[in-house]
Amino acid sequence: MLPEFYQFQLSTKVLYGPGLALDFSHELHELGASRYFLISDQVIQACGLVDGIAERLQEEGFTITGKYLDVPQDASVTCVEAIAAQASQTGAQGLLAVGGGSVIDAAKAANFIFTNGGSLIADYSGAATLAKRLKPLVVIPTTAGTGSECTLAAVIYDQENNTKLSFSDKFLLPDLAVLDPQMTVTMPSLLTAATGMDALTHAVEAYVGVDASPHSQALGQLAIAYITRNIAQAVENGGDLTARGAMLIGANLAGISFSHSMVGCVHSMAHAVGAVARVPHGIANAILLPHGMAYNLEECQEAYAGLAPLFGADANGRHAGDAARMAIESVKKLTAELNRICALPIRLRDAGVEKDMLPLIARKAEEDGTAIYNPRPVTAEEIMVPLQNAF
Amino acid sequence: MGLFANSEDFEKVIVGFFNLVAETPEVADKLLASKLVIRFNYHDPEVVVVVDCSQEKIQVRSGDKEAQAIVEMSMSADIAHKFWFGKVNLTMALARRQMIAKGPVPKILKLLPAIRPTYTMYPRYLDTSGHSNYNVH
Repeated sequence: MLPEFYQFQLSTKVLYGPGLALDFSHELHELGASRYFLISDQVIQACGLVDGIAERLQEEGFTITGKYLDVPQDASVTCVEAIAAQASQTGAQGLLAVGGGSVIDAAKAANFIFTNGGSLIADYSGAATLAKRLKPLVVIPTTAGTGSECTLAAVIYDQENNTKLSFSDKFLLPDLAVLDPQMTVTMPSLLTAATGMDALTHAVEAYVGVDASPHSQALGQLAIAYITRNIAQAVENGGDLTARGAMLIGANLAGISFSHSMVGCVHSMAHAVGAVARVPHGIANAILLPHGMAYNLEECQEAYAGLAPLFGADANGRHAGDAARMAIESVKKLTAELNRICALPIRLRDAGVEKDMLPLIARKAEEDGTAIYNPRPVTAEEIMVPLQNAF
Repeated sequence: MGLFANSEDFEKVIVGFFNLVAETPEVADKLLASKLVIRFNYHDPEVVVVVDCSQEKIQVRSGDKEAQAIVEMSMSADIAHKFWFGKVNLTMALARRQMIAKGPVPKILKLLPAIRPTYTMYPRYLDTSGHSNYNVH
C-alpha cells in the first residue's frame, strides 16, 4: 500500500572512495568558499586524521583559518558556540568537520550561529526554524554509524539544563559528504560493532516505521544488506577497506533512510537505557534490536519476511511468519558473532543495567519521542516484555 | 484566501476549543503533566494564543505575546484547523514547513498520543458551539 503522502530530499552531494579525504578539493570550488574552519576531536587528531587533510587543502590553495579539536563525546552548547565564534573571528567562509556523529552534529549546529548569529537555543532549537541556506559545510565521517553526514538533524547537549536539544531543518544538511573508508580504519573493534549495529537499527526501524516510504525503504533495504554482510569482517579485520567501505555506505544509506522515516521502539528503549543506566547508544541498540523486532512481529510479519534474505536467512518458500522469525534469529546470530569477536554485550545485564531499573526504563521508553513512529503502540506495560527478554 | 475570514472568527473557534480541551480531564491531565507553555502563532488570519500547562489548571490566553513560552508553534489557521480534525501529520507538516516549531520538539511529539481524543472532539465542538459552518476540512 502506498503512503498518502511523503517527500524525499537530499541536497548533500555524496562522494565515496578510498583516499578521497585527501583528494576532494576540486569539489570545494562549487561551494564558493576558499576559507574553512576545521572541527574535530582529540581522538581523531591523535590518530593523525586531521593534519593531513588540512595540509592537503592548503597545498591546493584553500585556507584553514583555524581548528577546534575539543568536541566532547556529547557535543555541547558551549562547544557549538565556541566553534561559531572562532570560525567568525578567523574569517572563515565555511566549515569542515572531520569526525563521528558528535563532531558532525556540532558543526551542523554551529553553522546556525556562524551564518546568522543569534542564540543557538532561543533562535534555532526546534524544527524548520531557518528561512535560507547556511554557509558551506563539508563533512568527512570517521565512523560508520550515525549517518549524520546526510541527515537533517543534530542533537546537542545543553549542560546548563542537563537536557538534549534537537535541531531539525533541511538547511542543516551538509553540502558535501566525503565517504573515505581509510578514515574509519583506526576505529576500535567494539566501536565498529556498536556503531554498525546502530546503523543497522536505523535501517530496520526506518523500513517498518509508520512513516516509511518507498524511497526510505529502498535505501533501508540496501543498508541492511551492506551492513549485515560486512560488519563482522569490519570488526574482525579493521584494515579491510572493502568491508569498511561497505559499512560506511550502509550507514550513510541508513542515515538517509531514517532521516526521512524516523526510528521506533528499539530507539525508544535504547534512549531510556542510555538515560537510566548510561549504556552507550550503539551498544543499547545492538542488544535491543532483535527484541524490538520481536515486539513488532505481528505488525511487521510481511516486512520482516521480505528482509529475511538480506539478513542472510534462507527463507525461500517459508510462510511469512516463519521467514520473519528467521530474520530476527539472524540478527541474534549476528550479535552473538560480534560478541565472540569483540565482546559486544548482548544482554542488558552485561551492559550495566540492573533488573530493578527495568520499570523506569519502560516508562521512559513509552514517553520517548520515537515511540510514536513505531508500528505497534509502545506502552510501559507491554514494552517490559522485550526489556525483560533483553535483560 | 483561507477558510477563516478574519481574526475574530478564528480566535473564537480556536480559543473556545482550547478551553474545552482544558476542561476535558482525559486530555488535560496529560497536558498538565508535560508542564509545557506553548505559544501558537497563527497567520491568515493572525491570532496568538498561549496554552499554559505549567499551572494547576490549563490556562488559555489569547493575544499573549509576552509569556515565556517553552515551545512556539507557527502555522496558518487552515493548517491548525486541519490538524484538529486529525488530518495533519505533524512531522510531515514540519518537514514541509507547513508548521514551524521552536523549542523541544520531542516534548511536543510525546503529546501526540495524548491529544488523539481531540480529533473527534473538534468537529463535535464546531457543531455544538455555533461554528458548524467551519465543520469542513
